Amino acid sequence: MAILTLAMALTVIAFVSALMTGKYPISLSGLLSGEPMEVRTFTVLRLPRSLMGLIGGFGLGVAGFVYQTVFRNPLASPDIIGVSSGASAGAAFAILFVSSASPSTTGFAFLGGLLAVCLSLGLTALSPVKEHASIVLAGIAVHSLAQTFLMALKLMADPEKQLASIEYWIMGSLSGVTASKIRIPVLIILVTSFTAFLLHRHILALSVREDEARMLGVSVQKTRFFVLLLATLTVAAAISVTGLISFIGLLAPHIARLLTGHNRQSACVLSGIMGSLLLLTADIFAKSLATVELPVSIFTSLLGAPFLIFLILSERRR
Amino acid sequence: MPEHFSIRDLSVSLSGTPILEHITYSVKEPGHMIALLGPNGSGKTTLLRSICGELPYDGDIRLNGTDLSGLPPKKLASHISYVPQQSGISISMSVLDVVLMGFYSRLRLLAQPTGSMREDALRALSLVGMADFSDRDYLTLSGGEKQLVILARTLIEDTTLLLFDEPDSSLDLGNKYRMLRLISQMVHKADAPSKKSALICLHDPVLALSFCDTLLLLKNSRLIHTLHPAGDPISEMEQAFSEIYGPIRLIEFSDPQFSEQKRRILLPMP
Repeated sequence: MAILTLAMALTVIAFVSALMTGKYPISLSGLLSGEPMEVRTFTVLRLPRSLMGLIGGFGLGVAGFVYQTVFRNPLASPDIIGVSSGASAGAAFAILFVSSASPSTTGFAFLGGLLAVCLSLGLTALSPVKEHASIVLAGIAVHSLAQTFLMALKLMADPEKQLASIEYWIMGSLSGVTASKIRIPVLIILVTSFTAFLLHRHILALSVREDEARMLGVSVQKTRFFVLLLATLTVAAAISVTGLISFIGLLAPHIARLLTGHNRQSACVLSGIMGSLLLLTADIFAKSLATVELPVSIFTSLLGAPFLIFLILSERRR
Repeated sequence: MPEHFSIRDLSVSLSGTPILEHITYSVKEPGHMIALLGPNGSGKTTLLRSICGELPYDGDIRLNGTDLSGLPPKKLASHISYVPQQSGISISMSVLDVVLMGFYSRLRLLAQPTGSMREDALRALSLVGMADFSDRDYLTLSGGEKQLVILARTLIEDTTLLLFDEPDSSLDLGNKYRMLRLISQMVHKADAPSKKSALICLHDPVLALSFCDTLLLLKNSRLIHTLHPAGDPISEMEQAFSEIYGPIRLIEFSDPQFSEQKRRILLPMP
């Protein structure tokens, strides 16, 4: 409990700092006195952007927890069933053929991610062996398919503008997030994460071997399909706004488990909070370290790679 | 009254190869501990998996009159519990949470385990001597401790038929006996009429002789002998074991200092 409170406090601090950081200086007194430029910057840019960092990171963390538990693999992440590559292909498609402005990239990225996951889960349903391994294999197939599609789109793209937009989208960023863009995704993330908390018992039951789970009374295929769909919706909603954000879904659950010890329900919540904290921190760096906006994934990866190495080293001692 | 547990003319084949052929066995009353013995590949595990509904089979398996084939998981789980050789739990989880999984089939979709369920789970843990471990991470336990936790989960499931897949395969001598003694306590209740039976795949025939009421000997996909250690003459059992394990002597002795009960050991004759 103490850890949960501390993590929440840190997240609140990160959230407030994110609100206060940026090109245009904002002060509390300016906001309170209603200085028009400051209020505008705050409500139109800072607040939506920080909210997206808070809630998007939360969703990525919870979804990562779900993926790792259901696949019984500490390295499982949304990429494993093709969400990220599907979303990238969707966004690239929108940039090329619809518009590189926000509502269309968000919508198409969301659809692309969902389509990829439906494809991989559908392929698994068709396969005679319905095990975790076949989902992973189907995911790899769908991932390569989406990558091929993305490559074709990149080849067709105008290198000056469109290609740059695609690359920038893939690197992920919270810049340009506005209130109108995040309304639906934030709602989706809140609903799916809350449902995931309610279903925590079922998610845990999926983490044992399939025959064992079935003998405990779990309808393995049905439950797994629903839970994965839930996690995927969360991820797709988050990255459709922000572009690809690497490592948060992988890191947050590990940090949460390190802190809580076991896989208690609080680990699931803490995983979400860690996701928020990581994304908000990365975004603060992204908007303050250089004179131009930096992609947020640079910082999440910068945190992620050393942590992975730490995990590999500490795993051996167990 | 229907028979407690019955297998009628069970045959299983996997891609054309017969694994089990015409197995028939039944027991009228609960409170029975049944051992499945046989060489590797004789079909012991296949028999368990058929009862669990994981393999298509010909024939009929019934528990208290209920046909077990095609039951949905929740329903099946309310009749049968299954203890695998090793649980597949692969991520950190508290021991208490592992035991609470035993309530899965009795909880509604969004329900959470209640306080009294937690108490039951703690009581089950103390019955198997693992009360102090409730807050530990399951993954950090030793093989024997893990099996005891899974046994506590089985207690919680509170089913009629308990299936064990070679509980003796990964345990040391002391833990093997501890495990079998606990199963025996669950099945042969001293104070009340038992409602449970256990079907246990075993490697070690001495364990089977010490704890089980009936021994089913499988060889080449068939049930070749059904032994009742309490009544069958030694020579007959010796003969039956020899068909599976090669020339063997069954020696009976008692140690009044230790227990009134007669002990038996098997000596292979090279």
